[in-house]
Amino acid sequence: MISRPRALTYGNVWLSVILLAVMALYPFVFGKAMNFGVSTLLLAGFAMSWNILGGWAGQLSLGHAALLGIGAYTVTLFAIPERAPAWLGLAGPVAPWWGTLIGMGLAALLALVWGWLTFGLRGSYFVLSSIAVALIIRLVVINEDFGGGAEGLFMPDLPKLFGLDLFDRKVEYGLAFFFVALTLLVTHMLRRSRLGYALQAVREDEDGARALGIDPRRMKLAAFVISAMLTALGGSIYAIYLQAFEPHTLLELPLSVQIALMAIIGGRSSIQGPIIGALLLAIFGEVFRNIFANANLLIYGVLILAVTLFAPDGLVGLFKRRGSKLGANR
Amino acid sequence: MDPNTQALVQTLAQGLLTGGIYALIGTGLSLIFGVMRVINFAHGDFLAVGMFIALFLFQRLHLDPYLSLLIAAPIGFGLGYLVQRFLLARLGDRLESSSMLATLGIGLILSNGLLLGFGAQPQSINVAYATKTFALGGIQISLPLLIAGLGTVLAIVLLNLFLYRTELGRAVRATAQNPLGAELQGVNTNWVQAVVFGLGVAFAVVAGVLLLPLLYAFPTVGENYTLKAFVVTVLGGLGNLPGAIAGGLILGIIESLGAYYLSNNYRDAYGLVVFLVVLLLRPEGLFGRTVKRV
Repeated sequence: MISRPRALTYGNVWLSVILLAVMALYPFVFGKAMNFGVSTLLLAGFAMSWNILGGWAGQLSLGHAALLGIGAYTVTLFAIPERAPAWLGLAGPVAPWWGTLIGMGLAALLALVWGWLTFGLRGSYFVLSSIAVALIIRLVVINEDFGGGAEGLFMPDLPKLFGLDLFDRKVEYGLAFFFVALTLLVTHMLRRSRLGYALQAVREDEDGARALGIDPRRMKLAAFVISAMLTALGGSIYAIYLQAFEPHTLLELPLSVQIALMAIIGGRSSIQGPIIGALLLAIFGEVFRNIFANANLLIYGVLILAVTLFAPDGLVGLFKRRGSKLGANR
Repeated sequence: MDPNTQALVQTLAQGLLTGGIYALIGTGLSLIFGVMRVINFAHGDFLAVGMFIALFLFQRLHLDPYLSLLIAAPIGFGLGYLVQRFLLARLGDRLESSSMLATLGIGLILSNGLLLGFGAQPQSINVAYATKTFALGGIQISLPLLIAGLGTVLAIVLLNLFLYRTELGRAVRATAQNPLGAELQGVNTNWVQAVVFGLGVAFAVVAGVLLLPLLYAFPTVGENYTLKAFVVTVLGGLGNLPGAIAGGLILGIIESLGAYYLSNNYRDAYGLVVFLVVLLLRPEGLFGRTVKRV
């Protein structure tokens, strides 16, 4: 989508290791502010998962909340005794990790169909179709019996995971940390893989990439499936963290927009950009909560305007550019 | 008429009038896209701004919503003009995607600004005619819906007079066809683009005012309409004005028929499904001719 040399701006492995180390220390330093920690980590993971499709494959999706919702709804539905067996004729509720895997599988399946149908479309058309698909899914969840309607679902008591209580905030922090670390690892692996290089080629020049023998649709599909599975994994953890959720908070367009904007504001062109974007916006959100109440997306609007006007590569891109200018002057 | 036919005619009439409003919203979006290739993600939020201007004037000054059009439409025009002049124009020739993100940001600022100013509670006005209906050959038609339909027709006639009967309209058409060529012929395309964005936003604001007697106003009401505007323009072909009008009517009828014969809960989904199908099979729109894939 954006033709500008990106290869130089990819962050290095050490920066990721340092970021992870800082995250790992958080509970020991800010043990009182665990909610902020868990939600920020989850947002960072969602932004990074989005970035695999939105940044690497250059397919701006504004429908990722649907994938997140699939993860959350599946893990919860399969854990509720009255609902789980009725669905598939299972004898009883399924352990949350199985529920999570099933959710990831469903998300991958949806991404395959959704991507297969829409990746022939370019630019704005894909964006529009992603909103439409997500809205249709939202309408189905609200109107069909299984989703619990507008009231949503309650997570029942869950069995312990390796002797750990899943509703303990520190355990949830660990799960969210695992989610972020895994997403970061996948992104790093992608960077060095054939798929990663092919994706960059497709993003910069789709017709040129095709001339080189790359199948753009297939590459984008692969990126979408990876992105979708990671997002659904995060969605399952989010559901455990929330314990009760409604379609209103989980499946709406603003959440999709929020996920995309965190990655874009931080920087689509870098590995760590989405984490930095998520952290920044989480802090902003916390600071402005008293002033803006529920108008918290206002700050996203202001920042995205500022970024598109002054820093098209996001904040990380801005710093990189400043850095290279300094270097050139020396 | 037997009851079944009557229900069908009633549903069609309802759909046609609602579709008129969709056409009005879609025309604004299509006009903007046609001239500057910008997909305005804030379109529905400008509609919400129109609703709230009329609501505010009604609550404070007891001004009839239809009279407040005289104030709301110029405000909408000015707002759009300024947004294009001072924000979007600065993006230069950086891609479709950055203008898309910028309008997304503007939309968030508008809807959250309304939330701060007016609160999240849905509000409505109680004018005597809001619930008035009259019978026409056995079918019931709501008066505000009919007025909105007539307002749409009037607005579209005025737009056509502007585009085809004035010098500025010629400049707009020239800019849409070939910006560089127009520039070489002495057209100030920057100014033309600002005027067009102003007009597009004014259309959205007018639609908002016309909808106020029919709907509850709340700050995020626009979200749904942004999407409807896209559906309308994609159905008709992006940048194709007559197509937008046809697209609006088609969407209105599809929604009404689906809501009546299938399920009212999925009212918003029928248009989206048709939209996806058209997007996949004919991205140039039902009435588009040679638009190539972007």
